[in-house]
Amino acid sequence: MSDTEDEASPEDQAFAGRVRAAIRDELAADKALAKKARSPTPTTRRPTPTGMTSSARRSSTPANVTPVIELDRVTLSFDRPVLEDVTLEIYPGETMVIVGESGTGKSTALKLILRLLVPDDGRVLIKGRDIVGLSFDEALQVRQQMGMVFQGSALFDSMSVFENVAYPLREHTTMSDEEIDARVREKLQFVDLIPDEIMTLLPAELSGGMKKRVGIARGLANNPEIMLYDEPTSGLDPLTTGTITRLIMKMQRELGVTSVVVSHDIRSANRMGTHIAVLAEHRIVFCGTPEEMAASEDRYIQDFLGGL
Amino acid sequence: MATPLLERLNTQAKLAVFAVQERALLTWNAVRFIGVRPFYPADIVQQMDAIGVDSLFIVVLTGFFTGMVLALQSSASLASFGETAIIGRLVTGSMIRELGPVLAGLMVAGRVGSGIAAEIGSMRVTEQIDALNTLGTDPIKKLVTPRLIAALVMLPVLTVINDAVGIIGGNVISTLYVGVPSSIYWRTVWDQIAGDGFTWRFVPNDFIQGLAKPFVFGGIIAVTACYHGLNTTGGTEGVGQSTTRTVVVASISILIVDYFMTQLLLGVLNPR
Repeated sequence: MSDTEDEASPEDQAFAGRVRAAIRDELAADKALAKKARSPTPTTRRPTPTGMTSSARRSSTPANVTPVIELDRVTLSFDRPVLEDVTLEIYPGETMVIVGESGTGKSTALKLILRLLVPDDGRVLIKGRDIVGLSFDEALQVRQQMGMVFQGSALFDSMSVFENVAYPLREHTTMSDEEIDARVREKLQFVDLIPDEIMTLLPAELSGGMKKRVGIARGLANNPEIMLYDEPTSGLDPLTTGTITRLIMKMQRELGVTSVVVSHDIRSANRMGTHIAVLAEHRIVFCGTPEEMAASEDRYIQDFLGGL
Repeated sequence: MATPLLERLNTQAKLAVFAVQERALLTWNAVRFIGVRPFYPADIVQQMDAIGVDSLFIVVLTGFFTGMVLALQSSASLASFGETAIIGRLVTGSMIRELGPVLAGLMVAGRVGSGIAAEIGSMRVTEQIDALNTLGTDPIKKLVTPRLIAALVMLPVLTVINDAVGIIGGNVISTLYVGVPSSIYWRTVWDQIAGDGFTWRFVPNDFIQGLAKPFVFGGIIAVTACYHGLNTTGGTEGVGQSTTRTVVVASISILIVDYFMTQLLLGVLNPR
């Protein structure tokens, strides 16, 4: 894959093995799907209270593959409803972009996957394991399989770029200083940053786009199977938006990471997403590929796409 | 008319009880994590530096002037009885038992408590606390426990320095202004320390009082600041509010707890 993999640790090799297996499964599933030749029309519903009784489901799912992430009839409310009867399945190697208007519960879905929140009803499964009933310590362990990129990057102010990226390695691995140094350099290079120029800088000395890339490198440091992004292109100029979008696509292509991206940027969603889910009025009103979305005759989806 | 008012009072009372419960839970978890891996020794040392070393100047300044003003005020009162010779005894008793711990506590609450609340509050509003959680780190273990340990250790140390500097300040005034010779001043200082008896034969009871209080005050400051920092909402404005609340709540708590600790310790150490 890359030069750095030649000197990869057993942990890296195991990760690469998982990725290859996931890609194999995905290819096999795609072939099976092609044989079935299902109808290309996805299920869509108008985002009106009368028109929505349950979440829209994706039109096609890989056969015999367990979803990496599954929200199963999830309902959550605080003072008012946030998510209602949301069902979403994300399979290995997919990039699912969740789009929708502000306040529709997109970021809440991410917090449910991270088990920072617990649903009032329904299940959240990570690789087939229900994480809703886990203890706090068990939840911390589940989160170690995931990398999260925050809207504002959330880099630790008091730590250098190196320390930020090295943080999950120091916390959860027994890697030596040399191994950590090599891993940090590898991840910074992966996100198109020059390690020697940036490693000693503090987050306050970085531009918005650089912060975002360092945030991605930190999320990737532990070689997670799942990457979560909260508004990764929000507040960035068009060029940097393109760079971040390409990075997310590169991650899916080269590492086979399963990704969930929360965004309101439909243009980027179309580019980076293998699938797109549209949240409206606390429900998923569409779930399908970008092509299916473009072909959708649903009025709300057309309005949503037309709002570009 | 009365119903909405009662409902509001009811809600406020529930929120107050909830806040106490949350603080107790935070304290328990922070204490529990002291013995749980991973440890963060670098963070503890860094916090000791921030809480202890960086507060040294204001604590020394406060102690020196408090000692001097105590000597001045005492001399005026004692002169009417012709007892200015025992000025050292008064300064020492007041500094070690009360003013040393309380003033060091209030100074640290203002300087360090506000700093901790602002730092953790900023981390909360910029999603750094969520980042810790998602990176598999318990924010209480990483942020609260090191600050609690540092405060528990450093506040008694600062108090001892505050006491010593205060007594020296009293000596300066009693010698230069009141005219009590240094030898008499220091003899009365020892009279005060030895006069209240000893615990385990060699630890003066005044020292027990003077060290138990800052230990508790250190805990109050760290937990109050971390609690308000972790519960910050509303962006930068919320950080400001958390900072203010921390100073107010910690200062009031120190004064209230000081009274009850004094009553308890006097009862235990000097039973009548």
